[in-house]
Amino acid sequence: MKNLIIYLFLLTSFSFSQNKIPVRNINLFSPLNIKIFGDYLFCQKDYLRAIGEYQHYLTMASNDTVEFKIALAYSEMSDFSKAAEKFAAIRSNSPFYSDAEMELMKSLFQAGDFFEFRKNFQNVIGKNSTAFSKTISLYNFSFLLTNNPLPAEQEFLGAFPKEDLAKVKNFYEWKENPPEKSPVTAAILSAIIPGAGKFYTHKYADGIWAFIASVGFAYLSYDNFHAKHYFRGWLFGGLAAGFYAGNVYGAAASAQIYNAKIHFDFVSDLKSFLDARNYFLPKFKFCK
Amino acid sequence: MKIIFIILILSSTYLWAQTDWVRWGKADYSYQQKDPSFERNYSIDSQNLGRAALKSFADAYWILISDVDGDNCSFSPTCSNFFVQSVEKTNIVQGTLMFFDRFTRDMDIFGKLGQYPRVPDGHYYDPISLYTLNPRKIKYIPPPAVINNE
Repeated sequence: MKNLIIYLFLLTSFSFSQNKIPVRNINLFSPLNIKIFGDYLFCQKDYLRAIGEYQHYLTMASNDTVEFKIALAYSEMSDFSKAAEKFAAIRSNSPFYSDAEMELMKSLFQAGDFFEFRKNFQNVIGKNSTAFSKTISLYNFSFLLTNNPLPAEQEFLGAFPKEDLAKVKNFYEWKENPPEKSPVTAAILSAIIPGAGKFYTHKYADGIWAFIASVGFAYLSYDNFHAKHYFRGWLFGGLAAGFYAGNVYGAAASAQIYNAKIHFDFVSDLKSFLDARNYFLPKFKFCK
Repeated sequence: MKIIFIILILSSTYLWAQTDWVRWGKADYSYQQKDPSFERNYSIDSQNLGRAALKSFADAYWILISDVDGDNCSFSPTCSNFFVQSVEKTNIVQGTLMFFDRFTRDMDIFGKLGQYPRVPDGHYYDPISLYTLNPRKIKYIPPPAVINNE
């Protein structure tokens, strides 16, 4: 049995051994083969290497699709500023010009460059109806990520398809009235009952420990003064005052951190929603 | 058994195949264990009497207690470092209040898990910038994250 396997192995090795003759006739580094290999890497989501192949190809030939795919690859790699630069470089006579305009705005939006995004949007108004109708949703969303005044609700929601209205309305209402906690209220609550301000900002364990530390040291101080141990009385009294004042201060700081957290969560939710909708832009099917 | 093992190896190779969008570069690694006392600044600012007095207390605590006791604070920066840095970045009164608040949070032995992001050595990351009452300085990092604060 062993011998049979060895014979079979040797036989197949010799029978299907590499034949160099046809390889000599194939130019693996021809522009077409480089492009094919770049396309393969692109579809394998190996974008960095695909860009390398495409750039090599563009030194030998000109191709609008390849130029567009380089920009798209940067976008897929989340290198949005580079993607924006490449999309902006697509010429106006390219068949991908309109798509590049939209993708440029998407990249600027993703890079958080809302000033440039809005400048590009102003250029699109009235000039290119497709780009305008596709990017107006993104334009409205840009108000949710900046501190600029929000447009009227009807005007804002009018840009979105029916199936997204409920979700987008939630985002709008959140931005209009974010459920923030007031640092002043937190501090006042903690001044009345030590730890209450931390409860207000949902830091329950910290609130309990703030109460224990403030009240515990105050009791120790009282007990020592009562027993005429004045040094210990002052020592524990000082600590009680420190923990009490620290708890009032900490409650205000905790409210600010709470607000930062809810804003962070809001932006994360919003970006997940936009990712799921591909930023309201069409998807490209370059790969099967 | 052998076949299962081979299949497992091969499948893991394919499932976790390299997707290198960033070119690999040379990485400098140091396997030296960090000692927090080496990162401490024991110098005393003689220009400011109040700060010099507080720093003397902190230095005495580091030299006599903390360096001997070991790396026991669960936070990064440690509570004593937090105190020194908060006084340096704000003032003595605000820095002291920040320290008492931090010390209260440090008392919580059960609730810290999941409340703070971590640094690579496992300590909870809790920087001064979160507590100066300046909202612009607050950079929120969600708790499961492991961050490099170097």
